[in-house]
Amino acid sequence: MKRFQRLIQFVSFGIFLLLLVWAAYPETREAPVDAFLRIDPIIALTTLIASREFQTGFIWAAIVLISGFFIGRAFCGYVCPMGSTIDLFQSLIYPKSKLRVTRAGYEANRGRRSLKYYVLALVVCAAIGGVSLAFLVAPVSLATRFWGLVIYPVTLWIADLGLDLATPLHQYFPDLAYIQISRRVFATNMFIAGFIVFVSALAVKGPRFWCSYLCPAGAMISLFSKRPLVHRSVNSSCTECGKCVRNCPMAAIGEDPHSTAHRECLLCLRCKDLCPANAISFYPNNETLKPEPFTPDLTRRAMLLSAVSGLGVASLFGTGWNEPRLLGQERAVTPADLIRPPGAMPERTFLRLCVRCGLCMKACATNTLQPIWFKAGVEGLFSPSLVPRLAACAVNCAVCGSVCPTGAIRKIPIEEKIQAKIGTAWIDRQNCLVWNRDKKCLVCGEVCPYHAISFQPASGRRNGVPVVHSNRCCGCGWCENKCPVEGAGAIKVSVVGELRLASGSYIEKAKEYGLEFKVADKKFDKLAPDTFESSGIDEGGDPPEKNVSPKQEQLPAGILDE
Amino acid sequence: MSHDKSRREFLKNSLIVSATLAGASFGIIDPVEAGAENYPDMCICNGKDAAIITRQAVEALGGIKRFVKPGAKVLIKPNMSFARSPETGANTNPVVVREVARMCAEAGASRISIVDNVLNNPADCMKMSKIPEYCKDVPNTHTNYVKNERLFREVSVESGTQFKKMRALSDALDADTLIAVPVGKSHGSSGVSMSMKGMMGLIYDRTSFHNRYDLHESIVDMVTVLKPHLVVIDGTRILSTGGPGGPGEVIPLDLVIASTDMVAADAQMVALGKWYGKKLQPKQIKHIRMAAERGLGRIDLDKLNIKKISV
Repeated sequence: MKRFQRLIQFVSFGIFLLLLVWAAYPETREAPVDAFLRIDPIIALTTLIASREFQTGFIWAAIVLISGFFIGRAFCGYVCPMGSTIDLFQSLIYPKSKLRVTRAGYEANRGRRSLKYYVLALVVCAAIGGVSLAFLVAPVSLATRFWGLVIYPVTLWIADLGLDLATPLHQYFPDLAYIQISRRVFATNMFIAGFIVFVSALAVKGPRFWCSYLCPAGAMISLFSKRPLVHRSVNSSCTECGKCVRNCPMAAIGEDPHSTAHRECLLCLRCKDLCPANAISFYPNNETLKPEPFTPDLTRRAMLLSAVSGLGVASLFGTGWNEPRLLGQERAVTPADLIRPPGAMPERTFLRLCVRCGLCMKACATNTLQPIWFKAGVEGLFSPSLVPRLAACAVNCAVCGSVCPTGAIRKIPIEEKIQAKIGTAWIDRQNCLVWNRDKKCLVCGEVCPYHAISFQPASGRRNGVPVVHSNRCCGCGWCENKCPVEGAGAIKVSVVGELRLASGSYIEKAKEYGLEFKVADKKFDKLAPDTFESSGIDEGGDPPEKNVSPKQEQLPAGILDE
Repeated sequence: MSHDKSRREFLKNSLIVSATLAGASFGIIDPVEAGAENYPDMCICNGKDAAIITRQAVEALGGIKRFVKPGAKVLIKPNMSFARSPETGANTNPVVVREVARMCAEAGASRISIVDNVLNNPADCMKMSKIPEYCKDVPNTHTNYVKNERLFREVSVESGTQFKKMRALSDALDADTLIAVPVGKSHGSSGVSMSMKGMMGLIYDRTSFHNRYDLHESIVDMVTVLKPHLVVIDGTRILSTGGPGGPGEVIPLDLVIASTDMVAADAQMVALGKWYGKKLQPKQIKHIRMAAERGLGRIDLDKLNIKKISV
């Protein structure tokens, strides 16, 4: 019967991975790629409380909670991708003989079992204080971030390594040489990987240590699993050999083998398989449970401490200097290069909604979206930010918003996205080839898909100097990406002028602010989102004076006078 | 085959070989032209049908068999590094590329590789240039883009002035026959881009040509190694302004130039076209002039044996 649990778990995890793979440009599939994130109860709860707003998507998480009445914590054993991840890694790290609870029996682990409830209390109180800690503790967020930002790029890397190693075969299979994989890179990946390895390694203290003792989502389901409809029951043929007690991976069986802590039981069915007397069954029944199921023993002091800690964390974030917008302050104290994805909510709301699952970064068509360290404070850890020097934001792509499970990045159509200004480019004259070295260079203007850069005469310069028209610049970062100046480049995107609308149309707001975003129409379907007619073609718009050189008749470099 | 005959043949062949070697060593016979009649240095073929003028131009040079031996590995370097359709002039006309590939296949080439290092999204370059689509049915022909470093290897550039080593496409270095099939187009950094500038599509670190080195000298350094055996310049239409990517003024010229001399072919294309609204002298193009000065080919078009055909 344990095979049954493994089968369901396998299928469920397969679906999780499939949805993760599908979270990519182009959004050709209608699949709900964020489904697993939506059913995570702790994501739903913290987002609901921290953002003070109800989203219909939370209903799925509510169904998971209610499932506790019927099937207890089966979600954790059968569905949760974090559970599956831990199962996988702990069995890779430890031999089977080591994967058992060090102290058998429910009673021996009573104390630390309460930890998860304290974690839950802390997270809830932090959410009341307006801080979402889902990114630290929500199991599906952790799993999605790990598989999307660590395993996915690692898989590509391994495939590429394989192709590298196969180089000697090129002489026999010339076409092998031309199989080229575009790899992906992500910041903070070591920490994300390290955390999962650490959590899995905790299995030395007992399998699924995370699920048994720490996971607040597990704690939430536990609250609904006092006496689930489907539960472990032991009949009179039990010989009290204790085999089940010693082998229960969750230590959910008491010293008396008849007893079960249903709040801890994942319905993995191992005890049923092991029982030499065939005394254990899991059929739905309503007969009186004997003995009374265990209840978690929580101390008032610890509970209070957790709640105060939660509020304490929130208060520290709220008084840290990265607080997005101080009361009574006109401006936020944010770094100039904290470029949020197009359609991102206003910063404070954004941080409350974003659960750092990494789906936007996994899906990003160009790999420009990267998890950040502390650029937005501890509170902003792993949240997405653009790195234009790595890649530009593809004009005809809005995949980040379309995969976001909580609406931290709004789901907006392409037409809206093209108007969702994320920043403005500025020219670092100290580095610019034209300004500083009096060379001819038109690269930023040539690659700009928004016709936002023109070249104008400047005194003392032989060539036209680049000028950014801020009302045309959307902040996509093509210029910064392609600037030939080494290092940081001489044109950079800053947050100046970013549009962060909690609701309403970007098109209308752009019009209101006098912004004129015009990109060349796509003439051809089914091209990559970063393929567009170059900036000279403008259908319908009147581009700014394009490439105006001081000497109009000047020929390009490489042509000599007669 | 009788014993006698093969001996006779052996003697005959030995005689030919030693005579050729002797001739070559005394400079009487140019080894490349050995056994050939008087081929023109260049052929300019005019006409509306891109396939026919391509074939005629190469035929006039002595036919593809002169360059492609049965079983040879051929590398064709077109322009297909922009996600633009053929009519924009940023890429080589796919009909011209296909015709060259077909001729190579007919000559018995064992592998015909059509390759360019793309600048835009690779899949879109392949799709929009239409070169893979046109060439997919030509036997033994494979059209690919290159991006990955593993496809390139270091090669020394003995007579380099800017660099002594560069990383070039292994497939091109290993090819028996290298054929350049560029489109004639303007270029913001090098003035024009034809067979010589186009060879940068077989180089891994192109940006260093622009940033670290002198671009014009670099191009010439590069073509001392990546020297095409045959150049077929697509002049069915040229991108007269806005190159290399366009958009810009596209001028139909309805011609194809074929030559064994890359410098002469490029110079001829410059002379035949109109660039940035002007007629230009080939010697005005820095890298073409430098290449001629370094003895890689000829720029004195009036002294060349040029065959002109109209079909």
